[in-house]
Amino acid sequence: MSMPPPPAPNKGKSPLLTATKSPTGSASSKSPTSSPSTARSPRIKPLPMTGIPATSSANDDKNRLPVDPEVLANAVSKLDMIRSAPAPMSQVNSPAVTPGASGASSPKFFGATGNGPSIPGTLERLPSTDGKASVPGTPHFGAQSELLRTLDESTRILRQNSKAPSRAPSVSGIGTVVEKPDYSEAKIVVAMVGLPARGKSYLSNKLMRYLRWLEYNVDVFNVGQLRRSKARSALKEGKEKVDHSATYFSHSNAQATQIREQLANETLESLISWLKKNGNVGIMDATNSTRERREWIRHRVAQEPDLQLMFLESFCDDPVVIAANVALKASSGDPDYAGMTREDAERDFRKRIEQYESVYQTITEPDISYCRILNVGQRVTINRIQSYLQSRVAFYLMNLHLKPRSIYLSRHGESMYNVSGAIGGDSDLSPQGWKYAEALPALIRDNIGDGPLEVWTSTLQRTQQTGSFLPFEKKTWKSLDELDAGVCDGMTYEEIEEKYPEDYESRDEDKFNYRYRGGESYRDVVVRLEPVIMELERQENILIIAHQAILRCLYAYFHGKSQEELPYIKIPLHTLIKISPRAYGCHEERYPLPIAAVDTHRPKPKTKKPTPSVPPPVGEGEPGSESEPKGDAATEAHENHQNNQIARDYFGDKGGKGVGVKPESVSRILEEKVKQGDIRPSAIGDHNE
Amino acid sequence: MAAPLYITDSGRLFHAGLILIVTVGLPARGKTHISRALERYLRWLGVKTRVYSLGDYRRKVLGGAKNVPPDYFATKSPRSEATNALRRRIKNEIEDQIMDFYTVQGGQVVIYDANNGNVKARKECYQKFESKGVHVIFLESICDQEEIITANIRSVKLSSPDYADWDADRAVADYWSRIRDQEQVYDTVTADEGPFIKVMNVGERIEVNKIEGYLQTRCCFFLMNIHTKPRTIYFARSGQSLIEHSYKADSDLSPAGWEYAERMKAAVVSRRKAVREEKKANGEPMNAENPLLIWTSARRRAYHTAWPFVHSGYKVVQKAIMSEINPGVWDGLSTGEAMDLYPDEWDRFLSDPYAHRAPRAESYHDLSVRLEPAIFELERCQDDLLIIGHASVIRCLLAYLVGLPPNEVPAVEIARGDLVEVTPASYGVISRAFHFWSGEGRGDESGLNLYENFAESTSGKGSVLPDSGVNFTADALNMEKEAKEEEEIDKEQKAEYIAKSLKGKILNRLVSSGDGTRSAPHSHLPGLEEDKDKEMESQLEERTTGSDADVDYNSDEVLSESGAEGKQSGSLRGRAMSILEI
Repeated sequence: MSMPPPPAPNKGKSPLLTATKSPTGSASSKSPTSSPSTARSPRIKPLPMTGIPATSSANDDKNRLPVDPEVLANAVSKLDMIRSAPAPMSQVNSPAVTPGASGASSPKFFGATGNGPSIPGTLERLPSTDGKASVPGTPHFGAQSELLRTLDESTRILRQNSKAPSRAPSVSGIGTVVEKPDYSEAKIVVAMVGLPARGKSYLSNKLMRYLRWLEYNVDVFNVGQLRRSKARSALKEGKEKVDHSATYFSHSNAQATQIREQLANETLESLISWLKKNGNVGIMDATNSTRERREWIRHRVAQEPDLQLMFLESFCDDPVVIAANVALKASSGDPDYAGMTREDAERDFRKRIEQYESVYQTITEPDISYCRILNVGQRVTINRIQSYLQSRVAFYLMNLHLKPRSIYLSRHGESMYNVSGAIGGDSDLSPQGWKYAEALPALIRDNIGDGPLEVWTSTLQRTQQTGSFLPFEKKTWKSLDELDAGVCDGMTYEEIEEKYPEDYESRDEDKFNYRYRGGESYRDVVVRLEPVIMELERQENILIIAHQAILRCLYAYFHGKSQEELPYIKIPLHTLIKISPRAYGCHEERYPLPIAAVDTHRPKPKTKKPTPSVPPPVGEGEPGSESEPKGDAATEAHENHQNNQIARDYFGDKGGKGVGVKPESVSRILEEKVKQGDIRPSAIGDHNE
Repeated sequence: MAAPLYITDSGRLFHAGLILIVTVGLPARGKTHISRALERYLRWLGVKTRVYSLGDYRRKVLGGAKNVPPDYFATKSPRSEATNALRRRIKNEIEDQIMDFYTVQGGQVVIYDANNGNVKARKECYQKFESKGVHVIFLESICDQEEIITANIRSVKLSSPDYADWDADRAVADYWSRIRDQEQVYDTVTADEGPFIKVMNVGERIEVNKIEGYLQTRCCFFLMNIHTKPRTIYFARSGQSLIEHSYKADSDLSPAGWEYAERMKAAVVSRRKAVREEKKANGEPMNAENPLLIWTSARRRAYHTAWPFVHSGYKVVQKAIMSEINPGVWDGLSTGEAMDLYPDEWDRFLSDPYAHRAPRAESYHDLSVRLEPAIFELERCQDDLLIIGHASVIRCLLAYLVGLPPNEVPAVEIARGDLVEVTPASYGVISRAFHFWSGEGRGDESGLNLYENFAESTSGKGSVLPDSGVNFTADALNMEKEAKEEEEIDKEQKAEYIAKSLKGKILNRLVSSGDGTRSAPHSHLPGLEEDKDKEMESQLEERTTGSDADVDYNSDEVLSESGAEGKQSGSLRGRAMSILEI
């Protein structure tokens, strides 16, 4: 963590500040006129120089310049003064009436749109009239005010005076990059157990994505893949094709059995050496179907001092699930069955399963730690779980289910803050945003018909307003609130860049780990969303109306995006994203609505991609073409996806299997609204730039 | 997590419907322990939960063992018609009470604590409640290790009024025979009976069948993480910071705050040493001491308060989810300013300080929900834990550990400069506070505790609450008395020893109550108060706070009692200020 040199006290003073409240440089500066309220703490006293015996090490000492008592006194008096600076009166958006005493703030319903109380540009930057030191709309000690700089400066002087034996790293400015938590102690071998076609690979992949999203270093070591890659290279070397039909898996075939064991050993060895290096969780994806085999693994892992072992058995006696898995295997282009007809492949695969079944022993060993899952979550047994991470894994697996469902993600409609470019806040929707809110029910209805749906929103006004026309059950989650920008709340990126250029840059160096002062980092958001993910896995159809950073994190979970990519994922306004979990990965569709909105995406500056001016290919003959979104959602997102083989269709794409809504139906509804006078068509396109 | 709450149309928190958790298991299998732990957790989540214990109810109706018909527990020989009628009556009455809790009192979860070892009886119970729209799940507690069972009998069952005036060994033998009888007719829960959770040897193995629903899966996760290994949890607030009342500024420690940090480390180290020596003196087994793990919030004032620990190589983990309650638009305001600027919000806040959420702020409920993963991790953690945090966070965590009802949480006083020590015991926890700092940042001129920001402070929140007696500041002032008590009794082995020396005097693990709660499951039974008084005289006091059934919302006697205690402790105030030698 670096500490940028504090600027001279009065440099860069905001013109918005009233002169009486800005700190003056003199030690005899007048004390605040209003005496501090009793609820606040007493005045700061500098510790006498003899406060704590100095036992400091030599290298610490050279950083320590003696502090001129006058400078110190000055700093202390400045601190005392800013401590009593009154807080700004923030914009309160509380609903006029609160239902009951519960404190629930349910969305207020606006009959007509476009009549929102606020007009862009008047929300913020009102010059303070009553001597408040911060600008309305920004937090106390917000980065816009000069208080923060004065505080940092005085803190630095006080710290220089410190005689403590050690000093914690000091921080100033609007935020810092936070180091990744130390996960080095978590080293777990997860050994899968189960017959073929019992969803072992499904579970391993799911688990991998979940834990990677939480920043653990996870990998799956698949015995089958190793076998196939070996066979491939053997084939290349001109040897004859290795027989991988069911006879290979027969347990009476001694030679093949030996080869299979050897492969399993190799897999485990490479897993262990990877774990010892820098891994956290290594998943061994193999059948491990006999007690003997498991005992051998247990014995091997026990030789490594810091590794924990956990078996994960997927047991399935539901013929429907098995049949579905077999069919998937036979039709998924499995290299083992290349060149076979589907029926032959299925027949051979079933035979392979029989070979395993003849020797299969389900886990009953009382002394090992295991998690046994029957029919994907129907019944779960958890034995001797050792660590918190293990219990979280078990709990996660418990929440999984295979019922087909979709998760819909949508940002709130364009907000007044979006229009003015400010971040954070709790502003209302803009007129365009209200249009999106009104169009949303039709879009959803076309997509799911009468199917069940639950709507989750954050506690902020803009998401609740966006969901206010939806005729479904709604829940508000505090955890879905936008990333807290701390001292920068209510500012525009330009303002931040102007006031704190170094900090602004360092955010782009490692955006995922950058924590706004008094606010959050993306990692903090991921951690707070973890329970939401748990709940999401358990639920069926869900529509989440939330915010850019929140949806980036959720999206990254479903698509297995890395921490580096996560903060730059494109989640445009006025676009519904449909995510349907499949056996491997997720299927995605996007439905951009033809309602203009500002583009709030800020690409990573290093790549310095010029923002494309070409309208996105949203599909031919699109009626609402006068108001296409500014950002090119489709193409950008497509780039993001190149590396992951997930089938995606876009709204209007040729040949797309896109279920759901047709652009015509949306514009039809919009037109009707215009006819009824609910929307003024003149407003469409107002915000194109 | 918490599908966020707030009161649904039915007037209940969470959209989870009504749930009946029926415990199943032979006697002395820790059913009550698990029931109480679960109740504590659910209450903390804000779910109106109650344990109904068949055994307690039977004792309440029939009185002590002498009034129980001799064939009441008979399993082999047929019971007389009168006894069967009596059993039926008691069972029906308690089940009526359970229905009453759902329908009249607005309860959401009931834990029906009884043996329920008979498959037919379970089926009846299942059908009876399911037909009324209550979701029934069975919670079976199994134990195949005799040591655990015997230990359980000794620590819990002997204190039951059933065994008043019995010799300990004879009572154990009698209890075992009762268990053996029941084993004959015991049916374990099977998959076709419905959803169940089976807990083997207190969490060693857990089997879960067809569990669906938000609260139900939460319960499973909770049960997966609890353990009974002895450990201690310490709490302390962060030191004074430069800008106390601003959340956003995230300011550094003041000079006094830095000094506070050093003092706190000394206090923790010396307290741990004292505990160690105490154990040695008591002749308790000296296993390797638990390592000390430190959690702080990611706020600078908290992490820097832990800095002396960081510097000397302790493991310090920063947890972003442990930040103090977010004051939202109230950030930086004093009480007066908040009242002036947001009069409407202020009124709503006063009417419900636990659940009211000011614009962009967090309510205490939001905070509890945010802290839930920390609760699970805390339950799972086997090391000693020091949590350096903020008053609001400590309040929530303590409320969970101690079993406070949610509406009391916002007013719990946590003084800066007190080290709160919490030790889990059988049915709850023992909590104490040690005073180590009286300097800047602790209190204002009038002696009121100072808090970081307005949302954290208790001002305004106390007025709506009855004096619960939950005042950890008072505990701190009680320090000398504490130390004395500590010498006299601490753990249950010791209590057992005393019991012998007192020759069969009733040994109820009761009680006292600087904190307004009592721990024994039977403590609310009539006729027990006298016993309790005697115990107080014999100095058999254990400062136990716990998941008592009567942490309820209406226990007047408890309150009055703690009031008296509070006055007593006031006189010790002066002497308590110079506590730990650091």
